[in-house]
Amino acid sequence: MSVKIKHLSISLLIIVIFTVPLYFATPYLINIFLNPQKYIKLGNFFVNYSVSDFQIQILSVSFYTLIVLIGYIVYLLATVSTRAQLLSDYQNKDLLVAKYGLEELYANAPIPYLTINSDGEICGCNKSALRFFGVLPEEILSKNFFAYASEEDVELGKKFFDFYKSDVPISKKEIRIRVKDGEIKWVSLSIFLTKDAFTQDKSGLVTVFDISDQKQLDQAKTEFVSLASHQLRTPLATIKWYSEMLNSNQLGKLNEKQKEYIDKVYLVNTGMIDLVEILLNVSRIEIGTLKIEKQPVNVSEIIDSILVELASQIDKKKIMFKKDYNSTSTIIDSDPRLLRIVIQNLITNAIKYNKDGGSVTVSLEKGFGIGQSSVIISDTGLGIPKEDQDRIFSKLFRARNVKDVGSSQSTGLGLYLVKSVVQALGGSISFKSEENVGSTFTLGL
Amino acid sequence: MEIQNTTNQNDASVDINKKKVLVIDDDENLTSVLVDKLNFSGFDADFSNDSESGLKKAIETKPDAILLDVKMPNMSGWEVLEKLRVDTWGETAKVIMLTSIDQAESVAHAMEEGSTVFIVKTNYTLDQVVGKVKEVLRVK
Repeated sequence: MSVKIKHLSISLLIIVIFTVPLYFATPYLINIFLNPQKYIKLGNFFVNYSVSDFQIQILSVSFYTLIVLIGYIVYLLATVSTRAQLLSDYQNKDLLVAKYGLEELYANAPIPYLTINSDGEICGCNKSALRFFGVLPEEILSKNFFAYASEEDVELGKKFFDFYKSDVPISKKEIRIRVKDGEIKWVSLSIFLTKDAFTQDKSGLVTVFDISDQKQLDQAKTEFVSLASHQLRTPLATIKWYSEMLNSNQLGKLNEKQKEYIDKVYLVNTGMIDLVEILLNVSRIEIGTLKIEKQPVNVSEIIDSILVELASQIDKKKIMFKKDYNSTSTIIDSDPRLLRIVIQNLITNAIKYNKDGGSVTVSLEKGFGIGQSSVIISDTGLGIPKEDQDRIFSKLFRARNVKDVGSSQSTGLGLYLVKSVVQALGGSISFKSEENVGSTFTLGL
Repeated sequence: MEIQNTTNQNDASVDINKKKVLVIDDDENLTSVLVDKLNFSGFDADFSNDSESGLKKAIETKPDAILLDVKMPNMSGWEVLEKLRVDTWGETAKVIMLTSIDQAESVAHAMEEGSTVFIVKTNYTLDQVVGKVKEVLRVK
C-alpha cells in the first residue's frame, strides 16, 4: 500500500513539476512563436493569420491534457515495472533468506558435512568437518574422501567408493576414519547422492557422525561381560569338576553323609553355573552386545546335543522323554548359539518343573517359509496358574506355584531371556498351560 | 529314550594304552583335577600352567592329545595353537580347546586354526571331557 502511495506521489510530482509551469507558460510560448508579427513566413511569402485568445486557451488545455496523459502513462509504466521488480525482489529475498539459512546451517551444524564430486574428491565441507579431521580447508579439499578410511578398513572404504560410483546411497554404515596425526575415529557414514539441475553432474553430501565414544562404551561393556564370563565361570567349573571327582569314588568311597554333602555342593554349583549363564545372556541382551549370526542350522542336532547335557537331570527325575522328529528335514536359517539358549531353557524348564516320572515331548514341524517352522515342547509338569500366565515372560517374575517348589531353582530370568532372544531372532513364542496338568511351549522360527 | 550316555564307570579298564595327554591351562586348581581324572581314566597325563612352557613341553614330549586353554596370560591358547601348527609334528597334533566362554566367534576361530574340538568348561562334566579325549584319540 505504502509503495503504491509512493509511486502515485512521484507520478503526481512529475505531472505538477512539468505541467504547472507549462500550463502557465503555454500562452506565452504560443504568443512568442506565433503572435508577435501574426504572420508565418512561407518561402518568400508571409502569410498573415490571427489567433484568438480562445484558440490559445484551447491549445493550452490540449497541451495540458497531453502532459497529464503523459504523466499518467509514466505513472502506469512506473508502477508496472516496480511491481515486477518488487515481485522478483520478494522472490529473490525469500530465496536469499533460505539460501543464507541453509548455508549457515551447513556451516555451523554440529555434524561434519562434506560434499564430494563424482570422483569422490572433497569439494566442500563445514566447520564441524574441519574440526573432526583437524585440518584447514586447503588440506582437505580435492582429496579423495574414501582414502581417509583407516588402514583396517581400507577394503570397506573401497567398497563404499564402488557403491558411490554405482549410485548406491550409503546409510549409517560404520567405518573407521583416519584423521589428523593418525588418530582413528569410528564414524557412522551416510552419503546422499545429488545431481546438478543443469549439468547433471553427480555429487554426494557426506555426513560423518562420530561414534567413537559410543564404540568405546560398547567395547567396555563387551569386555566387562567377557571378563565376568571368564572370571565367574572358571571357579565354578573348578568346583564342579572337584565335586564330581570326589563323588566318582575314584579317590576312595565316601560315606553316606559325605556323599550327600558333595551332592549338594554339586547341585548348588550347577544352579550357580546356570544362573551365571543366564545373567550373562540377559546382560548381553540388555547392553546390546548379543550378536546374531544366522546360518543354516539343523534344529534336531541342537536338541540332541542339549539332551546329552541334560541327560543326568532327565535320569534323576526319571522323565519319559519323547522325541517326535527326524533329523533330516529340520534345517532352518537361524543363529545356532542363540537358538540353543532358547531351546535349552525351554527343555530345562520342562524337566525342572515336572514331577518325577513325568514326561516331556519335543516335536518339530518344518514349514516352507520364514517363521513357518516350529519347535513344540510339552511337559506334564506344574503348569502355569491362569492368573500368572500374562506375566510369565516378565523379568524376575516367578509363578506362584514355582515359588513353593524351591526358590534356588528359579531365577525369574529364563523365560524373559527366551522371549528376548526369540524377538532378536525374529521368531515367536507362545504357550498353553493348565495348572497341575502341564505346559506346551511353541517356538516359531 | 535315545539319550547318549557319555558316562563311563569303568574308565581305568579301557584300552587306552597309556596315551599321553598334555593339559595347558593357567588355572592350577582346574589343571590338577583334570590331570588326576585323566590319569585315573588310564591316560598318561601331564600339565603346564604356563602357555610358553606348555608349548615347549608339547613339542618336546609330542603328546597324543593336548587340552589347551584359550584364555591365558602372556600367550593365549590361540597363539599357542598357531605356533604349534608351524611345527612339523604340531601341524597334525590333536588339540582340544578349553574355554569358559561360549561364543560363536570362538568356535569359528577354533575351526580356522584347525581345532574342531571345543570344550566349554562349565558345560562339560569331567566324564564328558574324558569322553571327548577318547573320541579325538579314537580309543575306547
